[in-house]
Amino acid sequence: MNAVFDSIIDPTIGPANGHGVFALAARPDSLSGLRVGLLANTKRNAEQFLDEVGKILTGQYGAAAVVARKKPDITNTAPAPMLEDLRTGSDVVVVGVGDCGSCSASAVADGIVLEQSGVPAVVVTTDAFVASASAMARVRGVPDYKYLTVPHPMANLTADGVRDKAEAIIPGIVGMLTSQAMAASA
Amino acid sequence: MTSPPADAAGGSGGSSPQAGPVDTADPAEQAKAVIEYCYDQGWTDGLPVVPATRPGVDAFLATTERSGDEIIGSAPHLGRSITVAQAAANAIMAGCKPEYFPVVLAAWEALNLERSVRGGWQSTSGPSPLIVINGPVRNRLDINYEGGVFGPGFRANATIARAIGLIVRNGYGIRPHELEQATQGLPGRWSVCLGENEEASPWEPLSVVGGVEPGVDAVSAVLIRTCEYVDNRGTDSPEAVLADFADTLARIGAYLGGGHSSGGVVLGPEHAQLFGRYGWSRSDVQEWLFEHAVRDRGDLAAAGKGDAPAADPAAAGTPFRMLPSANDIPLIVAGAANAAMSMVFRPFGWSPWSGRSVPVAWPDAGAAGATAGSAPATGGL
Repeated sequence: MNAVFDSIIDPTIGPANGHGVFALAARPDSLSGLRVGLLANTKRNAEQFLDEVGKILTGQYGAAAVVARKKPDITNTAPAPMLEDLRTGSDVVVVGVGDCGSCSASAVADGIVLEQSGVPAVVVTTDAFVASASAMARVRGVPDYKYLTVPHPMANLTADGVRDKAEAIIPGIVGMLTSQAMAASA
Repeated sequence: MTSPPADAAGGSGGSSPQAGPVDTADPAEQAKAVIEYCYDQGWTDGLPVVPATRPGVDAFLATTERSGDEIIGSAPHLGRSITVAQAAANAIMAGCKPEYFPVVLAAWEALNLERSVRGGWQSTSGPSPLIVINGPVRNRLDINYEGGVFGPGFRANATIARAIGLIVRNGYGIRPHELEQATQGLPGRWSVCLGENEEASPWEPLSVVGGVEPGVDAVSAVLIRTCEYVDNRGTDSPEAVLADFADTLARIGAYLGGGHSSGGVVLGPEHAQLFGRYGWSRSDVQEWLFEHAVRDRGDLAAAGKGDAPAADPAAAGTPFRMLPSANDIPLIVAGAANAAMSMVFRPFGWSPWSGRSVPVAWPDAGAAGATAGSAPATGGL
């Protein structure tokens, strides 16, 4: 390449980041008897959605208990103590709902961090934010990271609308948390 | 598309002017190829950039006592950090001169004092920095604070603001349609940098409000979602002009719910001087606007902002203050004293302004003098 081009500084290169090698956590065969962690962000209807998910998983899939936590901040990953709390207090975690530019990306980051700490996790975002969620997965060094989407929007739904969305996505959540095929694909 | 030919050193004789190999004997063609190369790398905001080189970065680093390796910004959720040298490379690309760099660093620091900045760069709101510069540096660097202060046309104003945008894009990797999810953005994102017209202002500089000594170069910054003009040339009454401001500040559209909206005003000198003539201090104006930028609670409910505590149909007929507090209405004076108009701006989120200005850190006087003295000799080479 021409010397002129070689001398141009790449403005995107910063201090090395510390992401390790990524592998999905091992999946259980089923959710029966397991503790389900629910990690909500502060977006409207996120907690209500996860609450419905928790009810269905305990009522229909045999989950033993629900551990609900709410992030204090939509942009960053959940604080370390909260993630540790989920890691020790639950067997699988559902993260959601990514319903904005920042929080969809950070939900994916939460999911990746949880997997790295050994907890099977599934992230739910609305389909309006696939670009930022996938961009975060690339930034985190896991370009093939899989997450679930529900139709946008979430924030303006009534309680019934939230429940409908939760019911519709349940098979996907159970599949992502238990699928042996998925763990094998990592 | 602009890969230079291996055999181009032979000269310009046979190459087509329209397509094909770059004529490397022609410096203008080389410059064009470099610009295209930077586009191809995804480094630009859509406009051409100036290539950053090691000598270029060194010249920028010579304007600050900070180390090139110092980290000046981190996005832990992205696993990205930004160094002073990286900021320099992006400031070069934006078109800054080396002597602008301490102002860029101060602007970056001022923005990072904003609570809203963490989510702001990726937000659907797509907010823009509003950067305000005070002090003698305005005249030294030809930073516009008079006519057409919102731009364009002035290198320092345009490129200091653009540098911030490129730092976010290239440093954090926050690009539109990817990690950046602006629904619409706003006209002028990454281009709003203005000097305060201290010479035409009846009040102390904004930087003094922000805690910096008078006469010291300083930068204040806030993220904004838009600006809207208030054209009022028909009255000599301060209250009439303020009522006009208050009407714009009290717009329901800017109300997100959750307690209050946020707003500030870049006053044209004619409006500012009207207040000055009648003895109104900055805080008098703030207090008046806080008291009068109100809406009927029923209006909020009627507009469907139903998640807000204020939006209660039962509350119709009772006033709701749209702004958070008198102190949280930033007032800046800028523009030409040739027509009585001002610009309302809307800070992003609920937080109006950190209220803290950042002094520009210049190298110590001796070093700065030496640099200036050596410049002509270097230029002569």
